[in-house]
Amino acid sequence: MARKKQQWFLTTQRTGSHTSGLLCTHWTRGKMSDLAKEKAARLLKKRGSVSSLGSHEVRAKETVGKTKDSISTVSYIDEPGHHDDNPRPAVQMENTYQLGPVKRFPVLTVNNILKDVLTSYLQEEKYEAELCRQMTKTISEVIKARVKELMIPRYKIIVQINIGQLSEQNMRIGSRCLWDPVNDTFSSHTFKNSSLFAVASVYAVYFE
Amino acid sequence: MDEFHTGEETAFVVDEVSAIIKESIEGAIGGNAYQHSRVNQWTTNVVEQCLNQLTKLGKPFKYIVTCIIMQKNGAGLQTASSCFWDNTTDGSCTVRWENKSMYCIVSVFGLAI
Repeated sequence: MARKKQQWFLTTQRTGSHTSGLLCTHWTRGKMSDLAKEKAARLLKKRGSVSSLGSHEVRAKETVGKTKDSISTVSYIDEPGHHDDNPRPAVQMENTYQLGPVKRFPVLTVNNILKDVLTSYLQEEKYEAELCRQMTKTISEVIKARVKELMIPRYKIIVQINIGQLSEQNMRIGSRCLWDPVNDTFSSHTFKNSSLFAVASVYAVYFE
Repeated sequence: MDEFHTGEETAFVVDEVSAIIKESIEGAIGGNAYQHSRVNQWTTNVVEQCLNQLTKLGKPFKYIVTCIIMQKNGAGLQTASSCFWDNTTDGSCTVRWENKSMYCIVSVFGLAI
């Protein structure tokens, strides 16, 4: 809850001047204790370091100079008038009161990505522990990058990949999720050649 | 208003989650040896029990639980995951469990709402 509030706080900061009559401006205004400030700044800092997330980082940089306020580093998202610098239309990100995804997660496209990546990486491979250890890491990164390229806003992505040896063993993979079935989804693909099998799953979880 | 909430309450605590996972595996599989006909049931039980317990924590998270049960016969298995999320709030926890005849690998991903 605290986190949630923190985010609200950031949101109001960032939309501040353009959106009037915000419900929560009231309680943030004047109550912004040093602690809260510090927390927000820390949160932002962490966020920043987390984002090797291409586009986000870029935009953050763009505005740091403009606003000079560490808290508003996030504010770039919906600052009007900078649409040109912004590869993604800012409008889509602007309204924090948006209730659903603008763009649904394209399960089929992602499935094709999985198929494509698994086939291209594993078609010719024989099972070998060390190789596959590297392979799982590489493939999971590649898939994540490919899915990120689709630029689906507001979705968190989890990629899981299992590569196993085919040797007459039995195995079962199951998963179950506690989430919102309307917006959250997954895609999965199984690949098999003569010596190994691979199961890749991508879970996409909508994040407001 | 922030004072009323400590980070613990809403954070993904790995120790807590791993305890839940271990408990679920023990509860579902326990001392059983690998039995082809029961694997389906076991996987279901493990994920279900995990999810139940996680729900009881009452934290603002969406969860993804996956369970792999594999018979032990010398075959190898590699697994990896990579995530695009908010590192400050979200977390994951994987437990590998084994007995004489099988491996059980359970991963939990928690995504803050």
